[in-house]
Amino acid sequence: MTDFVATKDLLSRRILVIDDEEANVLLLQTLLEREGYQNTLCLTDPGEALEAFVRFDPHLVLLDLMMPGTDGYQLLEAFRRQGKPGAFRPVLVLTADTTVNARRRALALGARDFVGKPFDIVEIGLRIANLLEMQILYERLSGARI
Amino acid sequence: MSVKTASPIPAITRVWADQPLTVKGLVVVALPLAILISALTLLFLASRAETVAEDDVRLAFAIQRDTHQVHALLAEAAGGVRGYLLTRQARFLDPYHKAEAELPATLERLDKSIQDQNVRERFERVVLLTGQKRSGLSALLDRAREGSGDSDTQAMQVALESNKAVLDALRQEIDLIQRLESDLLDVRRQRVDDVRARYLGLTTVSGIVGLLGSLLAVYLFSTGIVRRVQRLEGNAHRLEQGLELEAFPQNRDEIGNLASRLERASALLRAREQALREGEERFRLVIEGVRDYGIFALDPDGYVTSWNTGAQRIKGWHADEILGQHFSRFYPAETRTFLPSEILSRAARNGTAEDEGWRLRKDGGRFWANVVVTALRDETGVLRGFAKVTRDMTDRRRAEEALLVAREEAVAASLAKSEFLSRTSHELRTPMSAILGFAQVLELDEAQMSATHSSAVQQILKAGRHLLSLIDELLDISSIEAGGADLKLSDISLQDVFDEARDLASPLLRAAGLRLVLESPTPGLSVRADRRRTIQVMLNLLTNAAKYARDGEIVELAWREENNRVRFEIRDEGPGVDAADVSRLFTPFDRLGHSKVRGTEGTGLGLALSKRLVEAMGGEIGFAKRPSGRGAVFWFTLPAGRPCSSG
Repeated sequence: MTDFVATKDLLSRRILVIDDEEANVLLLQTLLEREGYQNTLCLTDPGEALEAFVRFDPHLVLLDLMMPGTDGYQLLEAFRRQGKPGAFRPVLVLTADTTVNARRRALALGARDFVGKPFDIVEIGLRIANLLEMQILYERLSGARI
Repeated sequence: MSVKTASPIPAITRVWADQPLTVKGLVVVALPLAILISALTLLFLASRAETVAEDDVRLAFAIQRDTHQVHALLAEAAGGVRGYLLTRQARFLDPYHKAEAELPATLERLDKSIQDQNVRERFERVVLLTGQKRSGLSALLDRAREGSGDSDTQAMQVALESNKAVLDALRQEIDLIQRLESDLLDVRRQRVDDVRARYLGLTTVSGIVGLLGSLLAVYLFSTGIVRRVQRLEGNAHRLEQGLELEAFPQNRDEIGNLASRLERASALLRAREQALREGEERFRLVIEGVRDYGIFALDPDGYVTSWNTGAQRIKGWHADEILGQHFSRFYPAETRTFLPSEILSRAARNGTAEDEGWRLRKDGGRFWANVVVTALRDETGVLRGFAKVTRDMTDRRRAEEALLVAREEAVAASLAKSEFLSRTSHELRTPMSAILGFAQVLELDEAQMSATHSSAVQQILKAGRHLLSLIDELLDISSIEAGGADLKLSDISLQDVFDEARDLASPLLRAAGLRLVLESPTPGLSVRADRRRTIQVMLNLLTNAAKYARDGEIVELAWREENNRVRFEIRDEGPGVDAADVSRLFTPFDRLGHSKVRGTEGTGLGLALSKRLVEAMGGEIGFAKRPSGRGAVFWFTLPAGRPCSSG
């Protein structure tokens, strides 16, 4: 898929999708399946997100912000607390709230990327691949150093 | 001078009073001194006259004594000669030798002393007789030594007889002289007594005159100086006590000058006092008359000492009721225990203290007061009390509170509006996300679809994207109206804006068969605006031209400076706008029915959004007909910026 990372490595990465809107989850799932990702977990209940994050230990999280109950910002903070030190576990925020405030707040809380809804599915596919590729390279680097 | 002062005419008293103190002092000292010196001179003269008279008396005594001596010497010499003749013993001749030795000197002394003419005549007889007697005696002795003695007794008898006769004549003369001198002595004694009596009288008179002169000097001193100085002192005392001065004669000496200076000082003081009193009175009236401010004074312990109309109006107490009361009664129970003393000590420490808070009226009602307390100190820095100025700020306080509530409400409303916009954005975009996303998924598999399905997918995407831009612009307008336009105003170069607008709009215009003509801006010209939003407005208007003026050839972007603003014009050669529709141009969703006829795309929000953006940046936007009657002119203005160096 890329020049640096084997497609097999990329597609075996675990991806967690959290969005309360079923249609969106389905869209992302369809997208990920089309791209060939094999390890995806999709949730529509943000209440289960933290447990899933711990249990599933995803490489990448696709996260909606505006959700009933626990919203995306709270989850961002929780993920940051749970994350192992030194680990690169990117979160890609996908939200229909495209205001500047939402963007700033999400990025400040540790989101690696921010895409407004509706999004271009090709673009999302590329951004996901980019983040994972960066992650793999990062892991290689830190492994080599150790 | 004594003559002058002796007549007490008022004019002379006046002249005397006018003399300088030096002259007065001189007169007062010199007058008794002159009298004393004259008295002493008289006494001296008297004593000298007495001495002369007494010398005359002494002389008379001496003459008597000496004449007596002459007679005695001659008588004793005669007796001695007689004894010698009888005894022939030499010792009997001693008186004779003594007389021979002393007589010349005695006679000479008498010759010098005798002044009286009668006496001198007698004296000359005495001298003559003395000579006869001495030669007679001498002849007797010679004869006795020559002869044997009793042989010539007869001749001796005769010689003795003649000698005796001479001596008797001499005795007579001497007695005469003695008598004459005795008379003279009486005369001289009388003269001495006269002189004594005269000078005693003179001394008495001069003593009396001296006493009178001294009394006069004292009188002059008293009238000319002492009494006037005393009156002057009285006036000075009156001046000290602020009383009116006693009238003082206008004399030209130092005391008179001092008196008139004192009078002038008194007049000056009175005038100042009067002015001060009037000023204070005016000031008091002003303060008492002030109605909008409660102005009152406190003593150092906080008891009310003055009260004005304003204080009465604001607090409700009449002056009679509140004077002497402690000012803490103006404070509500919750602050009364600490705030009054706290404010006074703050004012005493810093000179002044300000406070705002609730205070009590007489009726127990509250008012919001602004209070300024100023410490009043005398020139030595001792605290004399406090001045307190109170303003009733209740209305302002209420207005502030209302304003605060209104502001909070406005903030809450704005927050609610942003929250609403954010939520609306979310709610509208979320389904759009699914629709467009899945349509895109389908589009990816277009190759496997039938033409009908493929066209349907394209329709879904097209309508979906249109809907999305509608949502975006609607939310944009709403957020501008909610005050959330988030404009970044800066000086932006007209040249830059034009370049960017041309780059962005040209493809679209070219596609519509139009050519963009730009009027080159003056280098350095700028506008004060948000760059992105300015270009958005420009593009909006240019896109409109591309949509509606397809039957023309060119679209112009022109500019001009006017009144510190820059006016932009976008001119096209399209059909223009009907006069009836101009007023609806900037209304949202009003596309004037064009879309249906011509199949143009658009949300119907472009002009409405542009209007709000331009106005938010402090400009105006409008529509004008072209002079030719064909085509439309859309214009907007923006504030001119400072010249940019970049050009």
